[in-house]
Amino acid sequence: MSNRRIVVDGQPVTYSDGDSVATAILRGGEHPKYGGTLCLGGDCPNCSADVDGVPYVRTCQTPATPGLVVRRHPSTGNPSFPNVVQADITKTPLSDAVGVTRTEVDVVVIGAGASGTAAAAEARSTGHGVLVLDARDGNEVVAIYGGPTVIVRQPTGMAHIHAHQVIVATGAAELQPVCPGNNLRGIITARAAEQLHASGVSLPDAVAVGYLPADVPCIAVAGQIVRIEGNEHGSVTAVVTVDTDGTQTTTACSTLIVGLGFAPRDLLARMSFGLPVTVVGPAAEKFALPPCPTAGTVCPCSGVEVEDLEGVWARGFHELELVKRASLCGTGTCQGSVCGPHLQAFVAERSGSTPELFTARPASRQITLAEAAADTFTDVFRYSPLHDEHLALGAQMDRFGGWWRPWNYGDHTVEYWAVREAVSLGDVSTLGKLVVTGPDAVEFLERLYPTTVADIKPGRSRYVLLLNERGHLIDDGMICRETETRFVLTFTSGGAANAEMWLRDWAETWAMHVHILDRTMSLAAINVTGPLADELLQRVGLAEPPKFLQHRHTEVAGIACHVMRLSFTGEASFELHHAADQSVELWRALMAAGRDLGIKPHGLQALFGLRLEKGHVIVGMDTELDSTPRRLDMDWAVKMDKPFFLGQSALARTATLPDHRRLFGFTMPGAAPIEGSPIWSAGNIVGHVASSFNSPLMGHAVMLGWLKHTPFPEQVQIDGRTASITDLPFYDSEGRRARA
Amino acid sequence: MLALNTLRGIRVVAAPHVLDATLWPTHVAALRIAPDDIFAIEATEADAAGVAAADPHSIIVDEHGFVGCWLDHQQLEHITRHIEWHAPLHRPALVQGYVAGVPAKIWLTNERSLLLCAGPYAADLMERVA
Repeated sequence: MSNRRIVVDGQPVTYSDGDSVATAILRGGEHPKYGGTLCLGGDCPNCSADVDGVPYVRTCQTPATPGLVVRRHPSTGNPSFPNVVQADITKTPLSDAVGVTRTEVDVVVIGAGASGTAAAAEARSTGHGVLVLDARDGNEVVAIYGGPTVIVRQPTGMAHIHAHQVIVATGAAELQPVCPGNNLRGIITARAAEQLHASGVSLPDAVAVGYLPADVPCIAVAGQIVRIEGNEHGSVTAVVTVDTDGTQTTTACSTLIVGLGFAPRDLLARMSFGLPVTVVGPAAEKFALPPCPTAGTVCPCSGVEVEDLEGVWARGFHELELVKRASLCGTGTCQGSVCGPHLQAFVAERSGSTPELFTARPASRQITLAEAAADTFTDVFRYSPLHDEHLALGAQMDRFGGWWRPWNYGDHTVEYWAVREAVSLGDVSTLGKLVVTGPDAVEFLERLYPTTVADIKPGRSRYVLLLNERGHLIDDGMICRETETRFVLTFTSGGAANAEMWLRDWAETWAMHVHILDRTMSLAAINVTGPLADELLQRVGLAEPPKFLQHRHTEVAGIACHVMRLSFTGEASFELHHAADQSVELWRALMAAGRDLGIKPHGLQALFGLRLEKGHVIVGMDTELDSTPRRLDMDWAVKMDKPFFLGQSALARTATLPDHRRLFGFTMPGAAPIEGSPIWSAGNIVGHVASSFNSPLMGHAVMLGWLKHTPFPEQVQIDGRTASITDLPFYDSEGRRARA
Repeated sequence: MLALNTLRGIRVVAAPHVLDATLWPTHVAALRIAPDDIFAIEATEADAAGVAAADPHSIIVDEHGFVGCWLDHQQLEHITRHIEWHAPLHRPALVQGYVAGVPAKIWLTNERSLLLCAGPYAADLMERVA
């Protein structure tokens, strides 16, 4: 006996070298789960316990190691959930917890017993590379997926093994008794008895029924088990057997060893139908079923009694699958390894034929979420080159359109006023930026966009919608013409990747001679906006900033920029597109030059309000999957008299049809309702709020919202208050400030 | 921890046959991202003069949006634990796909390999393959 100990329910328990946790507990005179037959082969749930905070661990398969903390599950009911450490799942890949190795091999043999060894030798003899996996060597196969891919739990992590052929040689499990008293403490299978005896664990007053364990001192009792009797502590005191002439015998014992027969250990085989998986040896054998159970616990995982099965049968569930689903027998952690043969016997006796056992599902053993998620990752959100600048300025970052973006820098109202009354910087590096060139560039873009492209002069730009074939808005942005055959297109942050694919697909479809380059992640962009934007840019070397809807390549603060004059905020705005690796330098130069102008950065929270005051929609936020220009009141951006553009025929077909949906502007006294709030009229919900903002300038709520019932009311109720439909934009309807 | 640094060069988008015929200086690693798209590391626009002449509508721009680092064989082996696709056996080869869930590319040569990704993905890639 060593001096090493594990801790079981708060008490130190000494174990011997080579002990599993279950063996150590039994050596200490306890039962890992208070009661139930123990197989010590990993087949049943009767030794499962919480080990180092992980519940449902098969302790017979878990080596005892110094200091291991074991908590037995409650004798009835489920164990409590483990403590979950709250983590930032956006930053911590689940795979950090458990590593994965990947291997490719011709043949995987699962099981290193006699049949597995023979199968491996045969495969090797034909020149195949063979990998033998056995739980006793620390390679616990928990699943077989398509491929086939064999998932293995190892002491150091998970292994994903890609094989051409899998051979399952997992042997056979021993049957457990189903009879009254089978939940008592002191019942073990013959193999378990051999293991325990070999480990030096005392098996007091042992009586064996059925085949006998080798070299284990015990009294053999003939006949079939009728019931097992116990004392008030839940320990076995006697076994009652019946012989062939019906005579019952009661034999006193403290340990009952059962040798009742075998069932194929075929969980892995039952989860791999249709895959190149071969089952060999006892795992493929058709063993005799046990007698039909008449009383006792059938399914130790789910606590299903024979009388539960009888009730289910009486209700008309007469197929094995239906009995399983209705009773939950076989739905527990061992997936029928214990109850399966008894369930088959139950159905066979009543139906007259032996049913196949049900399909098993991964995982065949309980694995942790970290093990299941090994080498899977959360979605990636991109970082602007200015990310650290934002953090240094106190930004609260949030994910939007696939990027980390500043939501605010502490007070979005301060940022709002900087835009309206001074000058502000916004990081718009996330915008999609594509270059299109080629002799067919104009024709290509004419077909792509509902606006006229040919009349955009070099150096000028135009706001455009991007429609699909159905005339539904899928994105928006700017077209900037650089030369007769070269254009720069911008798209929304979240829509850029799809837009690129959209362009490439149509260029291919129409056999257009164009080249397309996505520069979204190569170029950063800073939006300089506010009534003092012009003055700021002059300070950093841009003597003559471009006029509204003009653009040009020039230097700003010594950095090459493509400067685009537009306006999303409602104020004069200049987007400075530049090399991503110079972005920090440009940002700092602008912030320094604008210090006495009251310059402040603004985040999305302020930006969303600023643009809402101007009535600008955000695609995906204010629009729906079937939003047409008409529904958005943006017919002005569509030239139906063009020869062709994507979506044109759909718009023409639907132009004269009545439409019951429209995006409107709303104003309302008081605080803005939350986005998504229902819009009411005459006691009915007639729409919802898409965007809302407490306008600091106007002192009331401004909103964009959908009305989906005609006739459209002029006044509605939102959040219990009266709101009015209001013409857009709410701010600077003449657009003087944007053009200033 | 890998240190990913900005890879400077030029991006050239042109007719595939023009790119096929282009010879690059020996110090340039020309990564064929797509049939019509090359990222030529350490190249200048002058190196692509032939492309501009052969395809007047080609797009030739400075490229500074990629970050990367060179890997020795041991480091490459570490990286390949985080990929689920097969790397080709021939060299040189450019492979593109997810590395630890991050869109990335690996330029494989006999001597060493270059792991690269778009700059906005750099932080995640470094963290995940650390």
